[in-house]
Amino acid sequence: MHILLGLALGAIYILLAAGLTIVYGLLDVVNFAHGVFYMLGAYAVFLVISLTGSFWIGLASAAIITGLIGALAEVFLLRPLYEKHQLYPLLLTFGFSVAVPDLMKVIFGLIGKTVDYPEALSGFILLGTIPFPKYRLFIIVLTAVVMTSLWLFLKKSDLGMVMRAATLNSRMVEALGIDVARIWTVGFSIGVGLAALGGAVAAPMVSASPDMGVEITVESFVVVVLGGLGSLAGAVTGGLIIGQVVSFVSLFAGQYSKVAIFIVMFIVLLVRPRGLFGEAGRH
Amino acid sequence: MEEKLENPYSLKIVWAILLVLAPMPLVLSTPLATEILIYAIFAMGFNLALGHTGILSFGHAAYFGLGCYVTGMALRYLELGVFPALLLGTLAAGLAALALAALAVKRQGVYFAMISLAFSQMLYFLALSPLKGLTGGEDGLKFIPKLAIEFPAPLDLSKPLSAYFFTLFFFALAIFAMRQVLNSPMGRLLPAIRENEARVKSLGFPSHALKIMSMAISGLFCGLAGGLLTVYLGYVPLSTLHWFTSGSIMMMTILGGMQSFSGPIVGVLVFLCLQDVTGNFTERWELFSGTLFMALILLFPQGVAGTIRQRVRRRMAPAIPEQQT
Repeated sequence: MHILLGLALGAIYILLAAGLTIVYGLLDVVNFAHGVFYMLGAYAVFLVISLTGSFWIGLASAAIITGLIGALAEVFLLRPLYEKHQLYPLLLTFGFSVAVPDLMKVIFGLIGKTVDYPEALSGFILLGTIPFPKYRLFIIVLTAVVMTSLWLFLKKSDLGMVMRAATLNSRMVEALGIDVARIWTVGFSIGVGLAALGGAVAAPMVSASPDMGVEITVESFVVVVLGGLGSLAGAVTGGLIIGQVVSFVSLFAGQYSKVAIFIVMFIVLLVRPRGLFGEAGRH
Repeated sequence: MEEKLENPYSLKIVWAILLVLAPMPLVLSTPLATEILIYAIFAMGFNLALGHTGILSFGHAAYFGLGCYVTGMALRYLELGVFPALLLGTLAAGLAALALAALAVKRQGVYFAMISLAFSQMLYFLALSPLKGLTGGEDGLKFIPKLAIEFPAPLDLSKPLSAYFFTLFFFALAIFAMRQVLNSPMGRLLPAIRENEARVKSLGFPSHALKIMSMAISGLFCGLAGGLLTVYLGYVPLSTLHWFTSGSIMMMTILGGMQSFSGPIVGVLVFLCLQDVTGNFTERWELFSGTLFMALILLFPQGVAGTIRQRVRRRMAPAIPEQQT
């Protein structure tokens, strides 16, 4: 039971971490605004549901809308900074993560917006003899599907191949006549789109609030660093581990669940500095 | 043969900064002036690691917050005097920075930033719930007894102006100490580590030990700033440990211009004054500051102080560079 609950929690971490790791791998940007896009995803699902009434349209459009916002942010805010010190894009995303939640407070108010569970997924399902919330099972399945398609996209499609190449050596890709700036924009919007999907999926459980992204930003960093920056397999493994850690520590010592995340990361990094799946040679 | 190296930071700069900042209460409100001094110490300490040594830490809230909490707890539970409590807070922060740096010194760039971030978040969540009994959890540490000092002159620190002069004294101490650190043989090596660590190492200098020292001293300054905040506020807010504090100090430092002595102080001054001004007509300070900050990064890539200096230099230089030989 707790393994499954941890799995559901881990699934959301996986979505976030996969997005973060794609952005880092491709753009070398540590995206401190990742949690903001998670939050935007939750608000997008709330908005679209109140307009169309359908959870499913909401879920899909949340990722797309937020991905587009991310593309705009990348083009207008991040792009002018790539030439400069690595710190500047990082700081810009920090500025973004200070400003945007406040903007959401202006627009939507301080109180969170609740999102209802879709009817088909409310209630419990019997797994053997244990009742398990249907919605959490859905999260696990959805994440598995999304991650598989992401993996297929990166491995099999042409665009995915270019993205992987740009991760390894963007100059070379540019020399081959491919517009790398466009690839970066696409990569960034896919990355934050995944964060938004995570937020949209989490919305019925936690309700959308302006500050919901603050803590999860750091937690998804932990997941990514644990797995190894820039590695998709690492993001999945890291998400699974952190999901289980939180789930079990909250069972035995609730107060320590957040502390435990950082202790685990601490230990792993000291033993294996590059994270579990980090490639040697990358910084 | 022996040639005495010129000190990169002259006493003049230090006195100039002190002379400019000391009369602040005449222009600004006294609490704001006090806060500027406190955060200036914090930013100076942070910049020793980031600007001078090139260590990217995203967890300096840990040392600041530790300084706050240890000072506060020493005052409240141990009932120590103000000076010993401050000393304790400063040392605790320095030790924590030393320990973290010693553990993680081999990790470069982003990984070091992540480890330091994780460390500070760990302290934040520890203070939030498991140690609630001691730290007051979300409410922060309250009920710190009324503060006053007897030496060198009886001073009631709950009065704004006396708190200001108390802070100013430590600010002066800190800024002279920082100049001393940067002018010392060790301090002269720190920028070399920032520029090219491998070369420093190959010249036979213990670059890891130097980085650890730099972090530890940086931690001392941050701890002192934290302790002073506790004395000034009379309580410790939990937000001092939050990663937004790390981000904000980084924001102010870079806004002012890292790699310069006065840069972080200028950044703090500009940032806190703007915060105060906008606070008068809007509650949405974060929206404003975040946007302003993004604009400043895009417009002033060298930081405010750095860009101004560059402009001045350009104006002083002859319009057409003389290239004839």
